[in-house]
Amino acid sequence: MSVLRAAASLTGLLMGVLLTADPAGATQTHGAPEGLYVHQIAHLFFIVSMGTLEFWLRQRNLVREQGWKYIQLAAILFILWNLGAMTVHFMDEHLDLLGIRKVGFWRIHIDSLPGHFGLALLYYLLKLDHLLCVPAMYFLYRGLRRLLAEAEAESAGESPP
Amino acid sequence: MTASFVPILLVDVAGSLGMILLAFLCLRLALRLRLLAPTNIIWTYLLWLCYALSIFAVSRSAGHILKQLLLMTGHAAIWAEIRPYSGAVNSFSFMVVGAVTLFFERSWQIYQQISKDKQALQVAHAQLLDLNQNLESRVRERTMALTLSEAKYRRIFEGSRDMVAVVDGEGRILDLNPAGHRLLSPAAAPSVAGKIDFKCYLAQRRDWEQLTAALRGAGAVSSLELDLVLPDGSARRTLLSGSLAEGPQGEPPTIHLMIKDIEQQRRMREQMAQAEKLASIGELSAGVAHEINNPLGIILGYTQLMLRGERPETERFQDLKTIEKHVRHCQSIIGDLLSFARSSPPQRGPVDIHPLIDEVLQFMQYQGDLAQIEIHKIYDDHIAPLHLDAKKIKQVLINLIMNASYAMGKRGTLTLTTRRDPAGGHMILDVADTGCGIHPKDLARIFDPFFTTKPTDQGTGLGLSVSYGIIKNHGGDIRVASRAGQGTTFSILLPLSPAAGDASDAGAEKADGS
Repeated sequence: MSVLRAAASLTGLLMGVLLTADPAGATQTHGAPEGLYVHQIAHLFFIVSMGTLEFWLRQRNLVREQGWKYIQLAAILFILWNLGAMTVHFMDEHLDLLGIRKVGFWRIHIDSLPGHFGLALLYYLLKLDHLLCVPAMYFLYRGLRRLLAEAEAESAGESPP
Repeated sequence: MTASFVPILLVDVAGSLGMILLAFLCLRLALRLRLLAPTNIIWTYLLWLCYALSIFAVSRSAGHILKQLLLMTGHAAIWAEIRPYSGAVNSFSFMVVGAVTLFFERSWQIYQQISKDKQALQVAHAQLLDLNQNLESRVRERTMALTLSEAKYRRIFEGSRDMVAVVDGEGRILDLNPAGHRLLSPAAAPSVAGKIDFKCYLAQRRDWEQLTAALRGAGAVSSLELDLVLPDGSARRTLLSGSLAEGPQGEPPTIHLMIKDIEQQRRMREQMAQAEKLASIGELSAGVAHEINNPLGIILGYTQLMLRGERPETERFQDLKTIEKHVRHCQSIIGDLLSFARSSPPQRGPVDIHPLIDEVLQFMQYQGDLAQIEIHKIYDDHIAPLHLDAKKIKQVLINLIMNASYAMGKRGTLTLTTRRDPAGGHMILDVADTGCGIHPKDLARIFDPFFTTKPTDQGTGLGLSVSYGIIKNHGGDIRVASRAGQGTTFSILLPLSPAAGDASDAGAEKADGS
């Protein structure tokens, strides 16, 4: 009997919510900051996954092999790149910290709060993020090439080069 | 801070192009790896990682290049339209990279377990396949090996000349080899629930307790001398070895016994001891007889000289006659002792044994010694004439037949049997009576000089000693088997070939000469 009573109560509550709801509340609107948050969370997820990969490679002792060592370096560089990218995104969205404007065609001016010149310099350097992600991709390429060579040698019954 | 925009532009554009190029190169390598081993989960992971990074590289790099171009050409509004899409794809590609990597760690563990299970299954499959393919031949080989082993041990069990028996803790015989059947004659023994009780064969019931106690203590016994009593009442000396065997599947322990019949050896030992004893007595007797014989001869000579000068009716003549009679009696005893000691060689000639026996029997019947005795003669007609001293052999026969007659009293059966020794080389003459038999304690002494069970005035105790000496002097042997109350059998063994007897003569002459 108590179960039937609880079920009836729950049904009544649900009906009440549905019948009295504002039509505009059926779906949530997503404003501009959500895209940034999702992107930053994606970067964070990328960092966690690369950290997991690095941990797994150490745990399995695979880093003793040259191919996996390259892949480990790639994971570390990707982590650094993600950290840098997250920082730049943060700075871009907080205009009260820095102000960026073009001065002519080939020059830019970065305004910073007095005594925070370092922030401007950091922003400038972090804008060169390809200096981290391209080497990361390169080490991934080297690692894969090494692993492929070893796998091919193994399948051919030879010792790896 | 004012700085050049060129480095940012160059690094952005060149880096973007490099990212695209490297991403596709990585994808190509990952595809090749995947092709090498399509089921390898690591290569699968790397392929998915490269897919995601390629999407990311294309989306981001193309976006960056486009951004730079649009901004430089003053189309910032267009870029503002495109930017959210590029950012969303970038976020998506990051998510894919993260998801693939995190799921890969879990998938790897599952894959490892599956690989182990797969290997175990492959091993088990190979073993099962091998077993299935070779089961029949293996069963055949094992069966053959088992059969051969069983046959080998069965041959040992069946072929053993000694008794082998398996008995339970209560002494019931569970298995018995043919030698055991021959020894124990279990068909004639009492059985309980179809099982023969080994304990009933033991002469001493306490032997079983001692045997089981020793087996429980040490697990085995060896060379234990035991007397068995067979269903026909005869006793056998045996040498027993045994061990306690635990059941392979927890059955009650059984006792494995190996029993060697050493009755024959025991008898031989006794006979050898008897022969040595008699030989020692013989040497002593011969020495004493020689020493006494000469003075007796002198006494007899002087007595006879004195008799010549005496008239027969005088008292002195009667006294001298008494002396002469006793001296002659002493000489007779001395003669018997010398015969026992085999100091004089027999006068041999070819003798047909059967007429000789008949002659002795006729003489004895004529004397009336065998009036009420039934006589059976079982002769082996194939026995050739022997090389014997007929007179001395007659003396032996008379001694034995007189003893038999005395043992049987008024009635009885006397059986004389001649036969060839199965081993060859000897003729055996059995003189068997149905008399009172000889007590076991007297058996070892019957050939001793002066040993007699007769009253003092009925025997000197030299008859069997003399007979023993005569037979030994012929290179033969004399044996006795007797059971108290049932009769006695004397067996005389005489060599069939003259050479064996002659060798014995030489020994006798040598002994006499010394």
